[in-house]
Amino acid sequence: MAAPWLPELVLALGGLAALGLGAWLRERAAPLLLPLSLAAAAASGALAAAERGYGAFFPVLFCALTAGVLLFAEPYARRRGLLGDEFYGLVLWACLGMVLTASAPSWLTLFLGYELLSLCLYVLVALPKGRLAGEAALKYFFVGAVASGFLAFGIAVLYAATGTLDVAASVADRASAATAAAQPWARLGLALLLAAFGFKLALAPFHLWAPDVYQGAPAPVTALLAAGSKVALFAALLRVACSAGDPLWAVGAPTLALLGTLAVVVGNVGALTQPRAKRLLAYSSVAQTGYLVLALSAVRQGGAAAALFYAVAYSAADLGAFGLLGSLSSPEREGDLDLLADLRGMGATHPWRAAAFSVCLLSLAGFPPAAGFIGKLSIFVAVFRAGFVVHGLVALATTAAAAFVYLRLVRALYALPPEGQPAVFVAPKAALSERVAAAAAVGVVGVLGVAPSLVFSPAARVLWGFLHP
Amino acid sequence: MIVPLGHVLLLAAALFLLGAVCAAVRRNLLLVLVGVEVMINAAALAFVGGALRWGRLDGQVFVLFLLAVAAAEVAVGLALLVRGYRGTRSVDSDCYRALRG
Repeated sequence: MAAPWLPELVLALGGLAALGLGAWLRERAAPLLLPLSLAAAAASGALAAAERGYGAFFPVLFCALTAGVLLFAEPYARRRGLLGDEFYGLVLWACLGMVLTASAPSWLTLFLGYELLSLCLYVLVALPKGRLAGEAALKYFFVGAVASGFLAFGIAVLYAATGTLDVAASVADRASAATAAAQPWARLGLALLLAAFGFKLALAPFHLWAPDVYQGAPAPVTALLAAGSKVALFAALLRVACSAGDPLWAVGAPTLALLGTLAVVVGNVGALTQPRAKRLLAYSSVAQTGYLVLALSAVRQGGAAAALFYAVAYSAADLGAFGLLGSLSSPEREGDLDLLADLRGMGATHPWRAAAFSVCLLSLAGFPPAAGFIGKLSIFVAVFRAGFVVHGLVALATTAAAAFVYLRLVRALYALPPEGQPAVFVAPKAALSERVAAAAAVGVVGVLGVAPSLVFSPAARVLWGFLHP
Repeated sequence: MIVPLGHVLLLAAALFLLGAVCAAVRRNLLLVLVGVEVMINAAALAFVGGALRWGRLDGQVFVLFLLAVAAAEVAVGLALLVRGYRGTRSVDSDCYRALRG
């Protein structure tokens, strides 16, 4: 086919069509919007796969994730009266932003994709009524705005030093006399870019916003924040890491290893004593991003395949965890299920959803046979092979401690409410779409845990297709 | 180009630093937004300097996109600020503390 931009165009037009239908048909558009949005995501993923083959790994992942978020979000938003055409349009455009960020060969496309994703997410976080969501959106916006300032200035300085907007060319080694004088500027640009990525990925020194924002945002949108936006930024970082020249990589690999270890430690330790479910999952996602960045530091020793695998396993498990948390939350209260104690008794009253939730949590913790176990194992193997033994051991120790965190959450699900005290909040009945999405997330976590070669064997071709669009 | 690239970049870096400090230390959220705008304008200056140094147009094109994106960002930011103001009656960042651990 001669239309490599078709998958992106389908997403953009899908979002526009959702808004158009809402404007023209008003209430009568409501039953059309979910099928339309799902069809747009599915068509975009299928077109990307047909067009780019293995290179469509990330676009297909994001389209699948978006479909899962839509399935979880429709009943969630309908129960709370938040459902409108703008919701679908923003989710589809956020997906477009993720696809652009992940597959951008040029810093300009990357910047525009990143901004499109961020602007859509700010508004999505602010959708619910009440103070919590408004405050979460403001906190997310101001951190994101400062991060985009860092990103813009980092790209500008790197461009001024190297004279190219091509991502791969600007970080590759070109030791000519003309660029030697600009080396300090190039380094400054890369440092600023790393800070911008750190903010958006919620890596350890830049993670302080994440628990607040995750707590206040509606649960299905949190899934998009945690899985989608992080994996998109991670894909962009993967391109930089794979294209880096030797002098840059000599500094870059230890830096990434240090940042990754720090994020794993801070995330896992921060989650240990957290009494609120969504803040606990926020710290958990800080740690999960840490594993991804650790894998990046070993990208030349087989870390890339491990990172691709872990990105899929993490997205599916986080989508399931946040989606089910939203599904189990009562629409009568502001915000979602908050304290771990509010989850008590869910294992008895909602056995299927509690079981699916537990599977996702155990995968995030890294228990075999779930996908998270294989992912963590292969990441640690690559990290040790790359020579970051101390980093690996520290991360391994806190990973073992973090198993306790996820078990606390599972125990809360299956603990009985105190004697004679009825459950405070009753979870609504599961909608069909929620069941489908939860089954899909659990299916991905389970199947990849048993058959990891589904991602590992094509990983080399995926990486080649990703780096040579 | 008469002005050396190094001087342009130094000016842009100083501007960026001023914006970043303003965004970091101000309690008034409107002034934080002003700081972010100054940071983005510093990036635009560095892009123009780089484009002249290398004799290429893509840096200039980036500036056009940068201005459009900055405007969109301010629009969303002010809307969110109005929404937050309805709950707290304040634009002071210390008044937003409903979400805590």
